[in-house]
Amino acid sequence: MFILRNKLNFLVVVIFIASCSSMNVTEENVYSADVSTVKVSSSKSENINYDSKAVFANATVYFDFDKSTLTSKSIQTLKSAVNALNDNSAIQITLSGHADERGTREYNLALGQRRAEAVSDYLTLNGISKNRITVKSYGEEKPAVYGQDEMSYSKNRRVEIN
Amino acid sequence: MKKLFFLFLFSNITSSELILEITQGTEDPYRVAIVKFDGDMDIANNLDQIIKNNLVRTGEFAIFDNEDLLSIPKDENEIVFNDFKILNIDYLIIGNVLSDKSNITAEYKVFDIKRGSKVRSSTVYGIPNKNRQLAHYISDGIYEEITGIKGVASTKVLYITEDDYYKLVVADADGKNEQTLLESTEPIISPAWSPDSKKVAYVSFETGMAKVFVQDIASGKRELVIQNSTQISSPSWSPDGKFLSLTMYQDGNAEIYILNLKNRNLTRLTKHYAIDTESTWSPKGAKIMFTSGRSGSPQLYEIDLRKSNATPKRITFEGNYNAKGSYLPNNEGIVFVHRADTSFQIALKYFDESFIRPLTTSQLDESPSISPNGNVIVYAIKDEGMGLLSGVTLSGAKFRLPATEGAVREPAWSGFLR
Repeated sequence: MFILRNKLNFLVVVIFIASCSSMNVTEENVYSADVSTVKVSSSKSENINYDSKAVFANATVYFDFDKSTLTSKSIQTLKSAVNALNDNSAIQITLSGHADERGTREYNLALGQRRAEAVSDYLTLNGISKNRITVKSYGEEKPAVYGQDEMSYSKNRRVEIN
Repeated sequence: MKKLFFLFLFSNITSSELILEITQGTEDPYRVAIVKFDGDMDIANNLDQIIKNNLVRTGEFAIFDNEDLLSIPKDENEIVFNDFKILNIDYLIIGNVLSDKSNITAEYKVFDIKRGSKVRSSTVYGIPNKNRQLAHYISDGIYEEITGIKGVASTKVLYITEDDYYKLVVADADGKNEQTLLESTEPIISPAWSPDSKKVAYVSFETGMAKVFVQDIASGKRELVIQNSTQISSPSWSPDGKFLSLTMYQDGNAEIYILNLKNRNLTRLTKHYAIDTESTWSPKGAKIMFTSGRSGSPQLYEIDLRKSNATPKRITFEGNYNAKGSYLPNNEGIVFVHRADTSFQIALKYFDESFIRPLTTSQLDESPSISPNGNVIVYAIKDEGMGLLSGVTLSGAKFRLPATEGAVREPAWSGFLR
């Protein structure tokens, strides 16, 4: 009797599988995740302090596409910055590197950093202490000019000294 | 005869969120009849709209609705298969929705017209007032039944918007149901999902410098992952969620490190005077791909993590700009940003092919992100100076998720959530 029941069950299962071999039966619960919103505002104000003498060293130098080498024009600009820094030994400066919008954002962030480092290297080679310089990059995130043409792009590939 | 199939979808969506627009469908789509579900009319209309949008957006379906059909079966017994055969329809979907204050349940059935038989019978228990998610589950069930591939309608996409503020936003894969995770006065870039899709890593400039944060989506709890004075960016999660690869500027130059999230140990992966950044893990975590400028122009390289002191191997050779790579989920190839002449496009390279396949044709395409089923790539474009999201399927369909407010960029696709 026991064996017979088992056989019967087996048969029922087989029939079920056979009849369903081409049919999917599914049941599911919808899952919906919670989302929380966080708001932040810049904890540090930009290092532009117009009351200090840092304004004397304010300048912007420009770069070629995908390049971080200083042009002769940039070097002229930096010479004046070196003089201003030598005349005002209390000045602390920030070098912010930027890129144009072409290419990927993270690569441009790194490129902006290289440009700022190139300016930093020039300044330190010309006697400015590294302790007076903060180097950072904004990549393509803070364009000086909006526009999809070489004129705009050339104004965005820059290092701002302030 | 193969013909290019163009589909234009005009939907009466009135919300100010992203609006879906199919610009080009695929060849030989599945012809599917979807009878409007029985039950509560408002909900049924709503579900109908969302399900059709989801399926059309894949580019693999031509949808027939009530107006296109010869008969409209409400029940299995009412189906006259010949009415669908005449229209060359491959599959028929019927269903119903039952709802009261505390429950909403949808049942649907899929019929194979050629075989004249039912191939799927499904029940989805929804959440009242969350009809979109219910519709996405149904869409994915239909998609999976017909194509044999898991659908991505119920997945999510992260992206960055810039308007009065910078925002990190999460939305359904169709761009609807937008919710803000982070709002900031300073730029936010490089959002990346944790493998379980419960957390997100990103770069925020809120401290005045690029820093990597990890934020829990549900609670909003967030953490600066490395506290030091250097710039840190480009986070990418290992497939097991235990590590974060990232770019640190410790000595002024971009180098890739791996952060153990448990014990906070940092391991340096690259050492080169050129830029190394945009790291990403292979599907099983055996390799890391990254962008490097070491050849003189940005190119993609791979490091095998299973070998000690492995040297990076260059894997792209076409053109002078190949960056921001991602692996296809089946590890059969990579998707990346490729510069062709003066334009930046999204390209695909299969490992067993010696050439690259351009997937897009506009001028400034970037930030490709691959759907978890590997079938769709969402990316950022610039249209008349405005940032928008676009999508392309590997079957060749294209769609857009145009924003009506603010610039949208850097999409990142979640894993499967269903």
